[in-house]
Amino acid sequence: MEFVVTVPDWMQLALHQQLEARDSGIRQLMCCNEDQAIAVAAGLHMANRRVMVMIQNQGFYACINTIRAIGIDAGLPLVMLIGQFGREEANFGQPATASTRNTVRLLEPVMTALGVRFWNIDSEADLGAIGDALKQAEQHGAPVALNVGAPMAWA
Amino acid sequence: MMNPIRTCEAIARARGNSVIVATMLSMFVFDQLDVKEGRVSSVPLMGGAGGIGLGLALGRPDRTVIVVDGDASLLMQLGGLVNVAEQAPPNFVHFVLNNGTQFTGGSNLRRPGSAALDLCGMARAAGYLHSERIDDIDVLNQRLPILMEEPGPSFVELVVAPAPAAYADQGQPQQLPDIQFTRMGAEALRLREWLRSTPATEA
Repeated sequence: MEFVVTVPDWMQLALHQQLEARDSGIRQLMCCNEDQAIAVAAGLHMANRRVMVMIQNQGFYACINTIRAIGIDAGLPLVMLIGQFGREEANFGQPATASTRNTVRLLEPVMTALGVRFWNIDSEADLGAIGDALKQAEQHGAPVALNVGAPMAWA
Repeated sequence: MMNPIRTCEAIARARGNSVIVATMLSMFVFDQLDVKEGRVSSVPLMGGAGGIGLGLALGRPDRTVIVVDGDASLLMQLGGLVNVAEQAPPNFVHFVLNNGTQFTGGSNLRRPGSAALDLCGMARAAGYLHSERIDDIDVLNQRLPILMEEPGPSFVELVVAPAPAAYADQGQPQQLPDIQFTRMGAEALRLREWLRSTPATEA
């Protein structure tokens, strides 16, 4: 990746800090809302740059129409890293759809309804999904989501 | 108050090898003017043009990016002004066709905010390097070469007349054509190829 376009997410704070603090070679662009983040990512893609969007579940719900226009209708390979903000620890290791919190519980069903393919990242063992998601987005010209189900930290 | 067709025509003449991101009224006018190369439309997506243009400007700093926004579209994503100002791409020129209406050319419903809404003031307060309001086509023609050359981000409110309303008498709107829902993707593909194949100095 060359760019990460974001409205910051609680679950991914460590990654945001990493992108801000170190010379990662990835430029983190903060946006005022998720509609704008998706649009900026689209422009970067049109400029032939490698870009990913980092947001949280609430932001995903907020920008569904922009995802519809840019990812689904226009078929741009939109890759979204989406934190499951608010996920209760009691739900770790269980399906997110079993969460008692609607913010968490509704994410996968909404993605399914939209036809947005998703992968869950709950631990380091799931990181291989990132490559699969990137490949899926590029090959099919479609939005994809990597749902971050647990807080990140750097060892 | 300027004619929107003459206004977009002036921009098209002055653009050189710049990328154009259009939306709503300007999209239809650039279609009429047969402006095809190096162009993408934010449709159907009011409010998206500024963000798409910002991404393009950051991704291709060697190329001027012209956004031709609408007033109601801009108001939908007003925070986008802050995103532009924070990144401050010098190659970004943000025009806004201000005609005070929504569904221009359809029913010309009034947009929120009075005629005195200070769009330039908003851009200036957000942190654009330059902002100005133009309501005379001769002034626009004089200013365009300078706007294309001077470092931005620049914001230019263009005061234009609303297009005649086709459904002014409560008539039934025609079905929108399929292309309005597919063109952004097709244009994005062409724009990517155009930017790959035409370096800034050769376009």
